[in-house]
Amino acid sequence: MDDHDRLELAREKAMRAWWRKARSCSEVKRTRREMDEELRKPGERPDSSLAITRRIFLHKSLLAGAAAGAATYGWFPLVNTLDLAFGAETFKFAWVSDNHLYPKNVNTRFVDKATRAVKEVQAMSPPADFLIHGGDLAQLGDPVELDLGNNILKEAKIRKVYIPGEHDWYLDMGAKWQQLFGPPNWTFDHKGVRFVGLDTVSRGPDYWTAKKMTAKERMGHMATLDGSVAGAWAGVGRDQLEWLNRTLSNWPKGNPIVIFSHNPLYEYYPPWNFWVRDWREVHEVLKPYTNVTNVHGHTHQALYNEIGKMRSIGMLATSWTWPYAPEGVPALTKCLVRVDPGDHFDGVGWSRLTMTAAEKIENEYVMWRKKDILAEAPWDSGCGDNMNQVLSPRIADREWPYYGSYK
Amino acid sequence: MKGTRYVLTALGVFLGLLVMLATSGTDRALAHKEKHTLEQLKAFDEVFMEQVKIGDLLFHGDGATEKKLRVTLSKTGMACAMCHPFGSDNHPYEFPKFQEQINKFATLRDMINWCIEKPNEGVKIDPDGDAMKALETYIYWSNRGSKLDPGRH
Repeated sequence: MDDHDRLELAREKAMRAWWRKARSCSEVKRTRREMDEELRKPGERPDSSLAITRRIFLHKSLLAGAAAGAATYGWFPLVNTLDLAFGAETFKFAWVSDNHLYPKNVNTRFVDKATRAVKEVQAMSPPADFLIHGGDLAQLGDPVELDLGNNILKEAKIRKVYIPGEHDWYLDMGAKWQQLFGPPNWTFDHKGVRFVGLDTVSRGPDYWTAKKMTAKERMGHMATLDGSVAGAWAGVGRDQLEWLNRTLSNWPKGNPIVIFSHNPLYEYYPPWNFWVRDWREVHEVLKPYTNVTNVHGHTHQALYNEIGKMRSIGMLATSWTWPYAPEGVPALTKCLVRVDPGDHFDGVGWSRLTMTAAEKIENEYVMWRKKDILAEAPWDSGCGDNMNQVLSPRIADREWPYYGSYK
Repeated sequence: MKGTRYVLTALGVFLGLLVMLATSGTDRALAHKEKHTLEQLKAFDEVFMEQVKIGDLLFHGDGATEKKLRVTLSKTGMACAMCHPFGSDNHPYEFPKFQEQINKFATLRDMINWCIEKPNEGVKIDPDGDAMKALETYIYWSNRGSKLDPGRH
């Protein structure tokens, strides 16, 4: 056996070991399997119109064969295709979220990227029917940050709808955000689709009153993704679940529903609130419906999951990329290649979603670096790369007076 | 006379050996090492965990700790934990290795300083200073239990 063959054999062994570990049992996987078995009886599967095609995870430049223009611009979209039967006309909408804007005198890179995304949305041809802002416009909920973000979003002259993120909310408990953008949950019908905006951030348990925190301290702890203080804040809440149930009750069970939420509507990684704490109840409400797509932010990474008959797509941030969580990455997700930390335009972007009369919905991640962004080998993958990793929650914020939250 | 001196010397050596063996054991007599008491172990752990806490605070952008240690880890308002929650994606167990961002063979400390300077736009810190040791301590502590795999890309 020569060196080349030995290397190939080693590579093959590494890939098999990685897949064995990826498929190994864990508490999260067991919970999801149980939930899926409850939501999807034997023989059932998502609506046959909701078929993932082989186009998923293929690099568009390979399909289109016309990479020259895109290469010049440095823009390689990633096409994530879902087939959706609803018999309506073609239309597009755009998703922008997780801008995490600081005031300009502190940090301009997030402003630059948010501005670029909104300009690209405005430049869409044909124009998008609407832009959905998926939350975390601001970083620390400062009215200066929210006003800055609102002004950037005004560059998009199309219809805009908004849902909040936790970074927008907990300085003043949503006062400024609601003043600018209206109610945090809503619904509208558009060309045969019922769109729902859910608020998954405002019903966090009170962790600030007993500890006599200032508003800034409250916001600082909420802004710390891996903090120990704010707890399991992500949730839909009983009142909103009842509202969702009423909202969908007159909607035909097979007709398409798209639910926008800041947090994923399933359990991915609770320590970082990559979930909603009442995800089981959400799925109880959604159980009768066969054509549900959840589009969410917060996770700052490409994600795809199916649970029961619902599909869930994670959107990118314009600000920065979170690493994939040490466990719980949905098995159906094709992970991004590890991001280059020296390039703050890497691994971020926005999404262009198209719903076509040809019974397809396409999610196109619009990213700003020209490279293959999906990992094939474990050592390139943001998920596979972390199989070796064991992590611990932080400790410094558990001591009085709760140091360590972002200021 | 001479015989008596020899006997006395031999007796003295024998008694001396007996005393050493009785009080400290053969190996410890040779290694000059004391057993650790529980109090000592507790003290070592407290010193270690204090550094973990300081490193945790620095890693999460605590301004007061930065000021105390006279370091500026970021000028953009960002903190290490914003890209590395729980110290994830640091891969301390893979260092030292060739690090392509720095384009040289690097230790974890080299990479910490690169991150401070480049993505965070902070000011590089003394690689042997208190702040670096604390950051390194927190990163290793947060990743404890990970499999050691130096050189892995």
